[in-house]
Order: sequence, then C-alpha cells, then structure tokens
Amino acid sequence: MSISLKQSLSLAKKKFFRAPQWELKMAARIFIGFLTLYFLLVFLGLGIGLFFIIRKVFPEADPISVVNQWLIYFFALDFLFRYFLQNPPVSDVKSLLIQPITKAQIIRRVMLRSLTSFFNFIPLIILLPFCIVVSKENGTTLSLWIWFIGILTLSGVNNFLVFLVNKNKRVAIGTISFIAGGYLLETYLEVPILSFFNQAFDLLYTQSLGLGIPLAVFILMWYLTEKFLKAQLYLDKGLSKKKERIIGSKLYFLDAWGPTGVLLKNDIRLIIRNIRARQVVMMGFLFLFYGLIFFTQDIYNDNPTILIFAGIFITGGFMISFGQFVPAWDSEYYSFLMGQNLPYIEYLKSKLYLLMFSVVVCTILSFPYLYFGKKTMLIIVAAGVFNFGFGSLINLFSGAYNVTPIKLNVKAKAFENTQGFNLTQMLFALPKLVLPVVVFYIPNLFFGFYAGVIGLFIAGVLGFLFKNQLLTQIEKTYQSKKYETLAAFNKNNI
Amino acid sequence: MISVESLSKTYGGVKVLDLQELVIPKGEIFGLVGNNGAGKTTFFSLLLDLIESTSGRVTINDIDVQKSEAWKPATSAFIDESYLIGYLTVEEYYQFIGRLRGKTEEEVTIFVKGFEPFFNSEVLNQKKYLRDFSKGNQKKAGIIGALIGHPEIVILDEPFANLDPTTQIRLKHLLKEEAEKYGTTFLISSHDLTHVTEVCERIVLLEKGVILKDIKTTASTLKELEAYFSN
Repeated sequence: MSISLKQSLSLAKKKFFRAPQWELKMAARIFIGFLTLYFLLVFLGLGIGLFFIIRKVFPEADPISVVNQWLIYFFALDFLFRYFLQNPPVSDVKSLLIQPITKAQIIRRVMLRSLTSFFNFIPLIILLPFCIVVSKENGTTLSLWIWFIGILTLSGVNNFLVFLVNKNKRVAIGTISFIAGGYLLETYLEVPILSFFNQAFDLLYTQSLGLGIPLAVFILMWYLTEKFLKAQLYLDKGLSKKKERIIGSKLYFLDAWGPTGVLLKNDIRLIIRNIRARQVVMMGFLFLFYGLIFFTQDIYNDNPTILIFAGIFITGGFMISFGQFVPAWDSEYYSFLMGQNLPYIEYLKSKLYLLMFSVVVCTILSFPYLYFGKKTMLIIVAAGVFNFGFGSLINLFSGAYNVTPIKLNVKAKAFENTQGFNLTQMLFALPKLVLPVVVFYIPNLFFGFYAGVIGLFIAGVLGFLFKNQLLTQIEKTYQSKKYETLAAFNKNNI
Repeated sequence: MISVESLSKTYGGVKVLDLQELVIPKGEIFGLVGNNGAGKTTFFSLLLDLIESTSGRVTINDIDVQKSEAWKPATSAFIDESYLIGYLTVEEYYQFIGRLRGKTEEEVTIFVKGFEPFFNSEVLNQKKYLRDFSKGNQKKAGIIGALIGHPEIVILDEPFANLDPTTQIRLKHLLKEEAEKYGTTFLISSHDLTHVTEVCERIVLLEKGVILKDIKTTASTLKELEAYFSN
C-alpha cells in the first residue's frame, strides 16, 4: 500500500486549514503565488529575449553554441545552489519504514519527488521558450530539440549528484576551485579546460547520437542514487541526527549587563545556532547591498525621498527581518520564559537593545557608501538615527501582533516562506517604511534637503529620549496579548 | 502559600475546571491525580498565569497572579520539554535560569554538581544541545533546572514519566529531601499512583475539573485511589 495522491492532498489540506491564522496564511499564499508568477515571467522573458540578445551581440555566431559557452557556468552554479539549498525529501520517510511498503518503493518515491524540485524547472522555463524562438527564427531542426532534451537530462544528473555528494564540503570547494581555476587558466594562459565542455555540449547539438551520453549518465546516476539511498535508509545512517558542534559558548562580555545581558546572550545563541534564524539574519544583512541598486542610477539620485527608502533598508535590514518575528523567536519555550523570574519589561528591553545594536552595526558597515558622496552618506546616517531611536520601537511594538510560532531549527523552503508571515505585519510596514519617508519629505518640501535630514534626526532622538515611556506602553500591549500569544504558540505542543 | 478562590475555566461553554476552594500551605508536597482531561494541566497553567481564568483567582503569597508579576521570584515549574531552551547546552540553560534568579555562575555550577547521582553522568558535560538529549535526560535536566535558586514553590507535571526506574526512585528521595531541607512546596501531578502516594503528604483527585477527593496520605490511600480508578 502506498499513500495515494488523494490522501496526501487531504493531509496537506488539513495541515493548512487547521494551522493558526490560516486566513492570513491564505493571503500570504496568494501573495507568494503572484511572486512565483512574477519570477516565472522573468525567466520566461529571459528565455524569449535570449535569442535576440545573442543575435545582436554575436550576429555571426550560432545562438546554440553561444549558449553552450555559458552552460558549464550554469551547471556549476546550479550544482552549488542545490548543494546548499536542496535537501533530499526524506523527512517523512521514518514513519514509512515499518509500513507494508518495500524499501524500493520508498526510495523511488523520494527520488521522483526530488525531481519536482524548483531547480529542475529553471532550465525548462528558460530553455523551452528559447528553443521555440530559435526554431521559429532559424527553422525547426531535430538536433535543436535533441540538444534541449540533453540539457534537461544533465540538469537531472545534477539533481542526483547532490544526493551522492551528501553535503561533502570537499566536493563543493572542489567545484568552485575547478570552475574558477579553469576560467583563469583559460582567459590568461589559454589552457583549454572549460572549452572542452563547450565542445562536449556542441557535440550534443551536432551529433544527434550524442544524446546517448547524457541519458546513459542519467541512468547511471539514478542507479547509484538508488543504491546509495538504500544504504542510508536506517535510523543510524542517513536518518540519524547529525551531531552539532557547540558554537558561541563564551560570550562572557555580556555578563556585566544584568538580566538584559543574560537575555542578549540567549538571543545571540538563538541566531547562530538555529537554521531558520540564521537564514533570516543573512537575509537582513543582504539589505546592506540594497543601496547599490539606488545609488548607481541617476533617476534615483535626483530624488532624495526615494534614497531614504534605501537608507532605511540598509541600516534596518536586520532589524526589520529579525524584529518582525519578536516574540515568535521564543515561541518554542514561551511558557517557560513567562514563568521565569523575569519581568516582561526586561524581556522587551533586551529585544529592543538587540534591534538598536543591529542598527548601529549596519550603519557602521554602510560607511563604504561614502564613495557615492557625502550627501548619500548623510541620508544613510539620518535613516540610521531614525531606525535606532524610533524604528526599533515600532518594530518591537508590531511584534506583539505576530502570534504565529516559528520552528527554530527548520529550514524555510524556497517560495514557502510563510512562517510567521501575516497581514498585520504587512500593515506595519507602513510606519516602518513610509513614516520615515514622510518625516523626511515634508520638511524637505518646504525648507530643503537638510531640513528633511534634521527631521529624521529629531524623530530618532525623540524616540530615544522617550524610550522608557514608550516601552511601558509597548509592554502593556504585550501584556494584554499575553494569553492569546501563549495559546497560539502552544497550539502545536498540546 | 497558594490559595485558590472559586476558580473556573470554560472552553466553548464546557467547564474544564471548577475549584471552589483550595489552600496549599508552605512546605507541603501536594499531589494531583486524575485521568486525562481532569484539569490537572489547566490548573497548573492558571497557577502560572499562562491562561486566563473565566472566574475566580489564584494567589501565591497573597499576590493575584493575573494582576502582578511579583509571584515569579517565588515560583518555578517544569511542565514539558517546551520548558527547555533547545539550542542551549544544559550548563548554559542552568546559567540562564540561575542568573535570572540572582545566582552567580559559580553558585549555579556548584548547585547542579550536587545532583550528579541523580544525573547518573548522563546530563552534565555532554557537549550537545538540549534538543539532542533523549526524552528521559531532558526530563532530568528540566527537573533540576526548576530547583535552581531554591524557589519556594516548584510545579512538576508528570515528573516520573519517561524516567528509568532507578531515576524514579532517586527522584522520590530527592523531592522529600528538598522539601525537608528548604521547606519547598511541591505541586506534583502524576499517573503513577504508587509513586505519588509515596511522595505526597496530601493528594487531590480531580474528575472533570472538580475536586472529588482531598486526602491526607495514609497507608490505605493507594488502595483508595486504586479503587476509584478501577471503576
């Protein structure tokens, strides 16, 4: 007996509708659906446009062989992305082991499911429109479509290769050095290493029988993966928990800070020791580079109001991405925290300090933007001051309304990142992002640029001065939502 | 001292807890028994201000737990694994609790070392995170965590479950010793009637949220409880 599609759909449906705040999750899904559609269209556009770009840049060359020159980089990148992000879907295998299903069936299911991964669709989405355009413009040829199938098969080979590599660091480092080394040797010393691959891909196009090679490799990979997974299908092998190294055990410098220091220590450990937290924090730091989009383009540079946006994201990227999940970060043990010898206000204070500290760090890290001029830097610093004094409080306040629990040590899947996502949080984006722009815009309109900057400074300083009074108000909100928050956080434990 | 006044909790029109009056004096080892759904966990959650009562109130040392947080220094609890912080080592977890209870790092280290016989070399110095501990060792870690700083009141939900037999017996001695030495009030819920009658001076039997029996433990208590549960 195997789990039928209908059964697993019904389970998925129950999981969805019985989750806390499912209505909001529905909205989130729709939103993410649009986002997926957007990316789909981008890739589709890329696929269609690719042919015309190639024809313009290399009018003499055959478009396929131009693509072939880049394929090795694509596959290397594809491999690395899969290596870091793709996990074999074995999470529910344990419960199937002792069911009356053969191991071969379980493995086949895992392998087929892995083929539905997002990564396997990228070449399809780009290359299918590309091939259609090529066949429209240059005439349909069998070899074109054989090449197309060959490339898709190789992408499938990558899919199983990642299984076999099994998170072996040496292979990842080897791949990176091979590609980088090959590139350097080829461009500077004219040693043809990577062009060997070009020729191999060309062969696929010129010799139709060449398709046999990727197909054979794919079948070999399938066979090897099957064998590999069969050996892993034991509780003490592939299904065992990996032992983790203890990191961040020192942190003594925080001891001097009293209860706030104790909690800060915990938050730092939370961030470095949990997959989900690490992901979110990394994303927050990526916002540091957000300015590169804005400051490099003249249309934006003439409009300081838009640049404030960039400044808010640069200095507050971490704050916004981490802060929106306060207190959900502690959802796994919230009941425990509520019973500790710890007044609520101390708990909130430690979170506020963490947010404020992150703004300081991000602002310091953004100093290289001085390259774009003093005015740009001034905008960033002004946004930093606003975030430090005022934005941090708004972020903390908005957290009181986010009661969706977070599973700390579980990876969020690409395009399924709805954990803790909710509509109220989207509404709170208004004061977080639009308010600073307004604070800048109005004085800027009447008294010029520097007045706008001063406006941001004043808002930040006022927030900082009245921090304790505002914190007391925030605490009241948290107190009034305490039982609701606890009930939502404990929903999965009961 | 814990005092309960006409405390009730209703979910969707169903009364899951209805306690007219209950006083637990300081230093008592108080046992709570009852089948699933009798209201044991609901009672503990109300005591710890984790859920809102429908009516009535609980006071700890004359402090209404819903109105003030001043009961927190006197109280600690270990209800389930969600009372552990999974990404900490056990030593870090103890330091966390200890620091919040105003103990120095050294005091905490010395205090928990004293429980080495109870830990049976399976808890301290493991170099792994609490989330990777077995269920039994998580329980051991959590119970001792609740004792750090000698809080006046310690609430333990099903402390004997998941423990191996040796540790169950050691736990019984440990609870009696703590109560005797420091006058700790223990609130213990359990499905193990033998253990609970051996450890607790007083046992309250709940059924569908109502107190059915409130007994001073004697030699015949176990029989009496067994008679009730056989029906």
